[in-house]
Amino acid sequence: MNPVLVMGPILLLFVVLGFVTMAILFERKVIGWIQMRPGPNRVGPWGILQTVADVLKLLIKEDIIPSKADKPLFKLAPAIAFIPAFAVLAVIPFTESLQFSQFAVGILYYLAVSSITIIGILMGGWASNNKYALLGAMRSAAQMISYEIPLVMSVVGIILSVGSLNLVEIVEAQKQVWFIFPQFLGFAVFFIASLSELNRTPFDLPEAESELVAGYHVEYTGFRFAFFMLSEYVYVFAMASLTTVLFLGGWNAPFGLTMIPGIVWFVLKFLLIVFSLFWIRATMPRVRVDQLMEFAWKVLLPVALFNILLTAVLQEVPYLDFLYRL
Amino acid sequence: MRGLVKGLGITLKNMTKPSVTHRYPDVPLPMPDRFRGIQYFDPDLCIVCNQCVRICPTDCITLTGKKHPDPEKKGKVIDTYDINFEICILCDLCTEVCPTEAIVMTNNYELAVYSRDDLFKNMEWLHQNDENVRKENNLNKPNLAPGGNKK
Repeated sequence: MNPVLVMGPILLLFVVLGFVTMAILFERKVIGWIQMRPGPNRVGPWGILQTVADVLKLLIKEDIIPSKADKPLFKLAPAIAFIPAFAVLAVIPFTESLQFSQFAVGILYYLAVSSITIIGILMGGWASNNKYALLGAMRSAAQMISYEIPLVMSVVGIILSVGSLNLVEIVEAQKQVWFIFPQFLGFAVFFIASLSELNRTPFDLPEAESELVAGYHVEYTGFRFAFFMLSEYVYVFAMASLTTVLFLGGWNAPFGLTMIPGIVWFVLKFLLIVFSLFWIRATMPRVRVDQLMEFAWKVLLPVALFNILLTAVLQEVPYLDFLYRL
Repeated sequence: MRGLVKGLGITLKNMTKPSVTHRYPDVPLPMPDRFRGIQYFDPDLCIVCNQCVRICPTDCITLTGKKHPDPEKKGKVIDTYDINFEICILCDLCTEVCPTEAIVMTNNYELAVYSRDDLFKNMEWLHQNDENVRKENNLNKPNLAPGGNKK
């Protein structure tokens, strides 16, 4: 077996875990700065070990499984929630050479696999045998399924323009213009829907700490709870990568600054997306549950459909079609 | 829609502002003068008049005096002076009433201990508590010297 094929994913796992550790710290730091306080600064220099300490605390906690819970499902749910989060990273092209697999339906694979996580969440809520966990899980599932549709629809504009579902081809089509410009509507819908998919503020109703106890993972403690949290942050990694690839031109350098290697550009764009997630979290209040569904079905979906129509029409307009037919 | 953008602008601007928090346990928090903190006691000034004990609303002060060691002199000197900080409410009355400013307030306030016994402070401890003594006590004020407003 090719050692690169084995070591690559393991290395990626460590990169992702490192990202998750730093992302949680950075999120708390950014929110702290925005609220004019220093953020975590007690554990290690600059609070660098804060997440490590938090995770360590979770790992040494007692592993409680409620006596009335469905034990096999209860144990399986965190794994089912996490595995797709890591599996979707297989299709993300980080640079021309740094990619794990390249196949024709990359974006479809991402969207299909990522929705398996909903089953893990539903399973966790159901297996807990707790009415609040079940309600939280139902709400999460409803939200994630509803927002998946505008998310997919907003990408259709890009697929129409490129004529391919292959993520590498999508990046290569953005050599001249990034899709954020011709597909701005699509980007707006995609970004909002991805916030909701990630269960982040303003769409963090499934686990609104200040209102509910926790949502679908009320009954989870220690390691299993950490796994749910981990899958959430791995999705942040995956979603930020996907946004970079789809709308910000992946590893393409802006203004012809090609002497800076592609991976640096990718990381910069990726960090910009991650920062905006934290920034929005520190700014926006949470939406109401009745506004949540209406927003997905009555605002985002029509806008996404309009974007598809617009793309299809503009493909036929002379002088503009170079933006929409790549 | 404009409100959302405005809000994002405000939070972004806030990021660059200095934080308003204190580094309290690391760096002591300076208290304003007139803060009612833990008392400082000066045994040399005490005349054992017992006024602080009588005024104390929670009866947390106990003192004993003894005869002046020099037989020529009249009066008493302080022998023991204890404040029980389990019940002291730091009301400032003992320092108000003290005619010689033997007991004055300081700006120190860190009284947390692991054992209740440690809250029973004796004369030595109160005498060593000589940092951040209130500057504004009556004896330190030149034109409010005892005897009223004489020029």
